Amino acid sequence: MSRFWRKEKSIIYALHPEKIPASGARLTYTFGLGGIAVLSSLVTLLTGVALTFYYVPTPGDAHASLILIQDVVSFGAVMRGLHYWGAQVMVLAVTLHLARVVFTGGYRPPREFNWLIGVALLVITLVWDFTGYVLRWDDGAYWAFLVGTNLLREIPAWGDAIYRAIVGDVQIGANALLRFYGWHIFGLTVAGVFGVVYHLWRLRKDGGISRPLPDEGETREFISRDELFFREFITAALVSATLVFITLIFPAPLGTAANLDAGVSDVRAPWIFLWVQNLLRILPPLWAGIIAPLFILALISALPFLDRRGPGRAIWFARERWKPQVILAAIALVLIALSVREVWR
Amino acid sequence: MKHKGVEGNKGNEGTEGKTEFPQFLYFPSTWLFIAGFALLFAALAIAWNESHQPWQGWIARYNTQSDVTPVPIEIRTLVPTQTGKPELCVTCHIGIEDISASHPAETFGCVVCHGGQPLALDKDRAHTTMRGGRNPSDLSVAAQSCGQANCHGGYTDAERNHVDRVLKSVQATYAGGVAHVRFSFGAQKSPTALFGIRAVSDPTQVLPSKELRSLDMFATNPVSGTLDAKMVSCLDGGCHLWTTPAKPQAYAYRSSGCAACHYVYADDGLYRGKDATIARDEPGHGVAHQLTTAIPFSQCNHCHNRGNYDLKSMTFDLRDDLSPVARPLSAQMPLEGRRLLEYYQPIADFTKCEYELNCVDCHTAQEAMGNGRIYGSKKDAQYIQCQTCHGTPTTKPQTATIRSANELAMRQARINGHAEFLKVGDQVIVTERGELLWSIKQIAPNKFVQTEKVSGKIHNVPLVQGSKCTQDGKTQTSDYCHECHAVVR
Repeated sequence: MSRFWRKEKSIIYALHPEKIPASGARLTYTFGLGGIAVLSSLVTLLTGVALTFYYVPTPGDAHASLILIQDVVSFGAVMRGLHYWGAQVMVLAVTLHLARVVFTGGYRPPREFNWLIGVALLVITLVWDFTGYVLRWDDGAYWAFLVGTNLLREIPAWGDAIYRAIVGDVQIGANALLRFYGWHIFGLTVAGVFGVVYHLWRLRKDGGISRPLPDEGETREFISRDELFFREFITAALVSATLVFITLIFPAPLGTAANLDAGVSDVRAPWIFLWVQNLLRILPPLWAGIIAPLFILALISALPFLDRRGPGRAIWFARERWKPQVILAAIALVLIALSVREVWR
Repeated sequence: MKHKGVEGNKGNEGTEGKTEFPQFLYFPSTWLFIAGFALLFAALAIAWNESHQPWQGWIARYNTQSDVTPVPIEIRTLVPTQTGKPELCVTCHIGIEDISASHPAETFGCVVCHGGQPLALDKDRAHTTMRGGRNPSDLSVAAQSCGQANCHGGYTDAERNHVDRVLKSVQATYAGGVAHVRFSFGAQKSPTALFGIRAVSDPTQVLPSKELRSLDMFATNPVSGTLDAKMVSCLDGGCHLWTTPAKPQAYAYRSSGCAACHYVYADDGLYRGKDATIARDEPGHGVAHQLTTAIPFSQCNHCHNRGNYDLKSMTFDLRDDLSPVARPLSAQMPLEGRRLLEYYQPIADFTKCEYELNCVDCHTAQEAMGNGRIYGSKKDAQYIQCQTCHGTPTTKPQTATIRSANELAMRQARINGHAEFLKVGDQVIVTERGELLWSIKQIAPNKFVQTEKVSGKIHNVPLVQGSKCTQDGKTQTSDYCHECHAVVR
């Protein structure tokens, strides 16, 4: 067995070197956000696999199969709850992880490529969440589906082609739901898993978590691989237990079944897209739904290229790097303000 | 386990002191203990949650009832033959009564009438999409539940489309009451019906009204103090089938829509069935989850005999000679005289058959539920007179022969649970409007008998012909009969 399983050759050991600089592994430096993102994606992945055995991706049965999972299947409500809350925690952890990297300048070379991978993972996470929201096939999900996919049609020249490529049909219906199911459980999962693995591998290749350059003559502190495992286990256990309690106290939401014939009174986008919904009330669809999000993404992606060198590496809120921090803070404030505006509308 | 080292100076434990937590929390095994405990606690919480679902609680509560055989706590499935789709409603509503013999749950299930989510076991989720809340026969949804095609709607024979008919009936529109009150106060120039509680129309009708406008047009902009604004109270509750009673109270409990008549409430409004989800001590529930065509007089009296509108104030005044407190139930009620005193209006006179029989024994379905025409008053809609069954000094009641087992009268006898009373070839009484009264038949040239719809008790129906009555048959109405035959209270 030991010959079959040689731990020093496993990816687990590859990601956990014998010694890790203590300054990069401090809780108050990373808050374990990357790890929490990975853990929550694993929880979501595993519970998602369980859900595929019961979920039926057809307009007639999708919602009913969720009710069955929720109310009849043993531990179904817990599975679905963990899937839902795991996904919310994942979105939150990925976003906060991104903010942490900006506010500590962790994207500085040689990590700028991994930064782009990270931004791509954020996009995958958001689309993953959106497609999952649609699979609920309740009244809110259906209208979000309709609005979300119709935004694609706003893209000049290629809008219709992109719509048909992603929705796989000329209009919303059984085909579209099946397509989104395919994207959710397969397309995005492959991209997400590959992206996370590559992101982690790249992290090691780039020399591990960013940290301040040592002053001359300073002794460098390290923590052992065992200590890292230990910290990861403690964090994972506490986050997992918290997820379970959130799940039991706040069951995953499920509205009434989507009715394609009925009108709709007041539908709210999933919380991560509330700002788009509010922007749609202010700007034309092409600007609100396509250009603005792409502009924000482009701006975030460009940060490591705007802020390449100089002092302040791996230091929280370093004054020398105030520009990228102000850019991100401004983006965050605008998005939060728009979301709050939509909630209080 | 080594937790922290310093390069070039292995084993130096001096850095251990740099903690962000109290000292005891920094001890690794403390964290291990906390994390392990959290995981264990989470696992136990999942297990506890799985065995403490609300539906399990309802079955447990069902089992605590003294008069039931305890059942295992498990999910119960009903697969109605009509839909073939499983429903889990009976998991929580275990012990609920079949709604009626002609609507067996095994055939129809629950969802075909109630709507809702058949596979949900969570109360809110299961009930969210229910039709008409607790009452699928509410007139706002009756067409989708009771009035579905091949149920009580969609037939070429209008008589079978009860829901269509009832929507236009005076019971639903309250057209007569509205017209007369408005006329009395000068709000309209004649007592012709112009408004209903809801707007209805019948373009095929010649007389008396093709359509009634909705009175609730005033509800959107009530002018304070005007008559029409006051009449909005008719829309808010209390009057007729579209509405639920404004102030449910003893003797006056009822449902709305079809259930207003067919779903029997006890005078105290308490449920007496086996469904543990319905509180036994909460007034406002039917006696049991049951529809009936054998409607007892007490059900009609929940609306028709508890008081009057005060025309000045437009408020409903309950009879002050009765105390609205718990009294014996209607089932135990018909002791000679008590019913007359306790239920019936002090100002009116009643003949013996009027308080010994039930209302439905004389008043037909077409009177109560309408015949599809829009009537402007109760007087126009109601036509059964004493002479319908008793004849006049010169004539016998009109009769007709039952010709086939599929005839409406035969079907009504079956639905009412008295199939044995009637057979093909029997002579039954026929009303002025041509309906066959299935419950009154001729058994000899001068002998008629009636079966009570509720109890099945048989009564002789005396004829006026051959009696000492000296009324002129041509002008004879029930008012004349009451002059001699009313019981003095």
